[in-house]
Amino acid sequence: MKNALAAEWTKLRTVRAPFGIVAAIGLMVVAGAALSWLIVRDYDGSPAAEQAEFASADSSVVITPVVQFLVAALGALVATSDPRLTALTAVPDRKRLLAAKTVLVATAAAVLGVVALATSTGTSRLVMGDRPPPIAPWDGLGDVLPWAGAAVLSILVTGLTGLGIGLAVRSTAVTVVVVGVLLWGVPAVTPMLPEPWDVDASAVMVPYLVWEVAGVVDDPPLSPAAAVACLLLYALVALGAGTVALLRQDA
Amino acid sequence: MIEVRNLTKRYGGTTAVDDLSFTVHPGLVTGFLGPNGAGKSTTMRMVLGLDRPTGGEALVNGRRYADLDQPLRHVGALLDPAAVHHGRRALDHLRWLAASNGISGRRAVALLEQVGLGGVRDKRIRALSLGMKQRLGVAAALLGDPEVLMFDEPVNGLDPEGVRWIRDLVRGLAEEGRTIFVSSHLMSEMALTADHVVIVARGRLITETPMEALTRNGSLEDAYLDLTSGRGL
Ligand SMILES: Nc1ncnc2c1ncn2[C@@H]1O[C@H](COP(=O)(O)OP(=O)(O)OP(=O)(O)O)[C@@H](O)[C@H]1O
Ligand SMILES: [Mg+2]
Repeated sequence: MKNALAAEWTKLRTVRAPFGIVAAIGLMVVAGAALSWLIVRDYDGSPAAEQAEFASADSSVVITPVVQFLVAALGALVATSDPRLTALTAVPDRKRLLAAKTVLVATAAAVLGVVALATSTGTSRLVMGDRPPPIAPWDGLGDVLPWAGAAVLSILVTGLTGLGIGLAVRSTAVTVVVVGVLLWGVPAVTPMLPEPWDVDASAVMVPYLVWEVAGVVDDPPLSPAAAVACLLLYALVALGAGTVALLRQDA
Repeated sequence: MIEVRNLTKRYGGTTAVDDLSFTVHPGLVTGFLGPNGAGKSTTMRMVLGLDRPTGGEALVNGRRYADLDQPLRHVGALLDPAAVHHGRRALDHLRWLAASNGISGRRAVALLEQVGLGGVRDKRIRALSLGMKQRLGVAAALLGDPEVLMFDEPVNGLDPEGVRWIRDLVRGLAEEGRTIFVSSHLMSEMALTADHVVIVARGRLITETPMEALTRNGSLEDAYLDLTSGRGL
């Protein structure tokens, strides 16, 4: 298992695409900080009555969905980028191969998630200074941690979902499309469903689950614990499909 | 030693390998011959556990490939030189393979030199010629210093010097007592390289025999064409 993991890590860092993904995440953090700064500048120049109408200047809320998507693409890369024939010749124990890929993606997703959330909430905090709500959405660290934790969990889940779907469909492009539909497409449609499906369906979509996990929604359809379970279910179902495919298929 | 016992593989309605049994012995080069679509590559894939047999089994030194803990140290194989990530550098390709089986990175460097790719170790694989990719595949097969080696059409795309290099390499490996199993469509080349031949057609065994038994009364090509006539695609 140690060798299989070392091999997966070597594979990941010796091709270009992962560096592109990490660079894109970095770019999002920087763009997010710039956005916060623009909002705060606008806020400072507005009369008090308008200031009360401002949305939060916290950029982590804006970049989290993009980071979810990018990390899912990283999961897809780990699943699909090397031909299965060679991967399985080197590590024929398919369960071991799967475990190595899962550990690698989970670790990379957690690290990228923590770094992205820490830097984006940190820079937002710096930019907002001690301005009051609503432009500053949280008072202190105790306030921001549930949200940041929920966001990191969602990034971990989408990374593993990308890996699972990638293993199941064996195509990076198809995986990225499926993940895009799952993260953005379907959640855009569910609020348009007739009652009560609009709420029920939206409640189990990733973008809303993050808020439910953070416990920052008033009167949430799902409790934080139920939302965590639902989020984890995404990863489990995708990894389950990927496992079945990997264990059953010919290389 | 490679033992193939009653091996069968069906893909949907096609029977690629049909109740095939033969043994590949150590210390010899065994040629694996047969028309296009005869099931040679499929058989080799099943030996490596890449494809699941519909029936029967294939054992390497008495064990299933998938049960070997560090398989590259026992079996080296070159099945498809294109089954690599083309954006990776040649040396990095060998490095991850080495890492997967606890083999040192230094061995990867030395092997690249040995196969004549020392000068292109930092080139991305997509920038290598067909023959260079083939050599990289040979290096990958030799990485774990295995007792059993399998090559699927190894001289494909090689220049005359490369063809002789493979022949000498394969002969040398057999003389060291290793088990060598090589498929090819080049009868003249096979006649020079192999000591023993396994001929298949339509997934079935046609003959398993020492080379000299086939070449006693003429060329290997004549004997092969006689045995397989009417049994191609
Ligand atoms: N993955 C697959 N799915 C369906 N059919 C397959 C698959 N792989 C091989 N076959 C079929 O199995 C048969 C044997 O193919 P195989 O590649 O083993 O032949 P071969 O002896 O290696 O031929 P060649 O000399 O052309 O390389 C062919 O009819 C081929 O179409
Ligand atoms: Mg073939």
